[in-house]
Amino acid sequence: MISLQNVTFQYAGCKEGVHDIDLTVRDGECVVLTGPSGGGKTTITRLINGLAPSYYQGSLNGSIWVNGAEISALPSWRIGMEIGSVFQDPKSQFFSSELAGEVAFACENYGMSKQEIRKRTDDAIASFGLESLCMRPLDVLSSGEKQRVAVASVYALRPCIYVCDEPTANLDGEGALRLANTFRKLKNEGNTLIIAEHRLTWLNDIADRFVYVSNGTIQWEKTLAQMQGISEEERKRYGLREIIEKEPSLPTFLMDIGKENFCSVNLTFKRKKTAIFENLNFSLPAGQIVALTGKNGVGKTTLAMVLTGLWKQSKGEIYIRGKKLSEGKRRKAVWYSSNDTGTQFFTSSVTDELLLHSSYFPERLERARALLKEFGLYTYKDAHPASLSGGQKQRLSIACGLLSDREILLLDEPTSGLDGGNMRKIAAALTNAAAEGKTILVITHDKELIQACCNFRWELG
Amino acid sequence: MRRKNFAIPVKLWVLACTIIGISLTSDTMLTCIFTVAGFVYLGFQQNWRLLFSMVIFYIILMGLLYFIRFHEFHPVVFSEFYVLMFWNLTPVFFVSWDLITTPPGEFSAFLSRVHTPTSVILGLLVIFRFFPTMKSELKCVWLSMRNRGLTAPIQIVRHPMASCEYVLVPLLLRCLQIADQLSVSAVARGAERPGKRGSYYGKKVGIYDYIWLVLWFIVTVVFFSIGGVCI
Repeated sequence: MISLQNVTFQYAGCKEGVHDIDLTVRDGECVVLTGPSGGGKTTITRLINGLAPSYYQGSLNGSIWVNGAEISALPSWRIGMEIGSVFQDPKSQFFSSELAGEVAFACENYGMSKQEIRKRTDDAIASFGLESLCMRPLDVLSSGEKQRVAVASVYALRPCIYVCDEPTANLDGEGALRLANTFRKLKNEGNTLIIAEHRLTWLNDIADRFVYVSNGTIQWEKTLAQMQGISEEERKRYGLREIIEKEPSLPTFLMDIGKENFCSVNLTFKRKKTAIFENLNFSLPAGQIVALTGKNGVGKTTLAMVLTGLWKQSKGEIYIRGKKLSEGKRRKAVWYSSNDTGTQFFTSSVTDELLLHSSYFPERLERARALLKEFGLYTYKDAHPASLSGGQKQRLSIACGLLSDREILLLDEPTSGLDGGNMRKIAAALTNAAAEGKTILVITHDKELIQACCNFRWELG
Repeated sequence: MRRKNFAIPVKLWVLACTIIGISLTSDTMLTCIFTVAGFVYLGFQQNWRLLFSMVIFYIILMGLLYFIRFHEFHPVVFSEFYVLMFWNLTPVFFVSWDLITTPPGEFSAFLSRVHTPTSVILGLLVIFRFFPTMKSELKCVWLSMRNRGLTAPIQIVRHPMASCEYVLVPLLLRCLQIADQLSVSAVARGAERPGKRGSYYGKKVGIYDYIWLVLWFIVTVVFFSIGGVCI
């Protein structure tokens, strides 16, 4: 059992933290911490797994008990035996380039015998159906596969509590569903799960209780049944994502070939002699938002990279407003926002980033200011982009695209780590941009985003 | 075909013999003995990719040396000294590359066996992860720069310092973030536990390992007996 009694924590050197937290989690229960970005969900997970204040320093008041022991009295390695932690970005958690080495890492740290390590590692790999990945380097796995490897590496140690901080933030819809099966299995085995998360549909049959965290404190708690019965207005007021998934009803995208706006003819891309896509013909209408969907590995991101001119097609032509354009010219006409925002920013402040490469005309400054306010980034206008959270970086990247003079925007999973409120802000901004004549292609599995702003759906593959 | 790896002590022994041999030889041309033995060594481990690239590199060096020596060829962009230096050091390059591309798990298993402190082992594991991670991050930075129009030749020529900054700043910040996330991941998985670390791998030294241990000793002795020693 986990118990937080009147806990207040403030990070050293800043005002952020949580206050007056009272939370009890029973054995075998699955509790979802939800709420807006920056509300304090991650801090609560760090308090439970002991990383705050031992690693993330700050002042702590109140007491935190895990299975009868006060956590502040335990060394970090002792906590690690009881509580397994899964983080947002799996690729920067790996210590090995091979599956077995990574899954065995925690067991090795605890000095288990070779036989025991092998048994636990092989069990964990088999339990999560990861055998097919054994011969592949971890670097080439998809984000979903990497996250399942991260969970397996925690599972090998057999903790009874799993604390997860936005485990699906970097995953597409299919990856999230597969991860849901993994967590369902953990719960069925009697483990306690504490999951900080924005996306709620995948937790629909796993969660027992939802705890809403905002402004650094717990605002309310609801059971699964209460949460499923929440009204649309209430959900929007709290900035929550959908709890029950709805299939968006959109017209299917027609592949008419007309060279008037943005189209491709017989577009083919091959990597190491394998065709990622072949003879693709399409035409994107101006002033419309098209959702590009499809299974993992079908080539959605590759297509976006080729259309943007970041990669060269193996065959075929791409036309913009009737003109066949080379890669270099396409890069000037098409904006691409990657899902991975870690390396997308180059200047020392959010404002400079928005105005990179552009003149400081008053109208442009005004437009930049309005966009920052619209995306909830105005208070961070002088902050370094690297200091922003994942969701804030995603919004900044889209804002840069909207402010660029490029007529076509390609956005790759732009809302994967966003709460409901921010997702709706993005949807509104994209709708406005399309109304101004921009052509927008959104690679997404976010059905709420598709329903909120897209005009067509294009299923690739 | 999957690469077979000799035990770490063998790889260390081979590297030590090669470095000592090349440092003390009085006939630099004879370092080809180590190179040829090294090629057989790579082939035995089925490290075909490294073998293929190093054979091509060595053939190019051989061609350059031939033209420099017998046809008075004087390259414009680099001096003859560099060709000879690479000719000498090639076996050290690929033997050490073969060592550092050994799966990190096998490396850490060996270090645990020789009672290396956990902090040293973890530091080494981080170094092993650092280079491939940075390579992929650098690729991402370059793509983002192209997307933002920061790689146009005119931009780089006009603002060379700013262009360097555009690469270095996100890369260094990303480096810090990854280091932080790796540390958290290690702490949460018991890295701070005192005592000896276990190991999944723990490869035993086999008959072929002993054979290659002896073979490299013989190669080194033969090398010195033909070429002599210069201290």
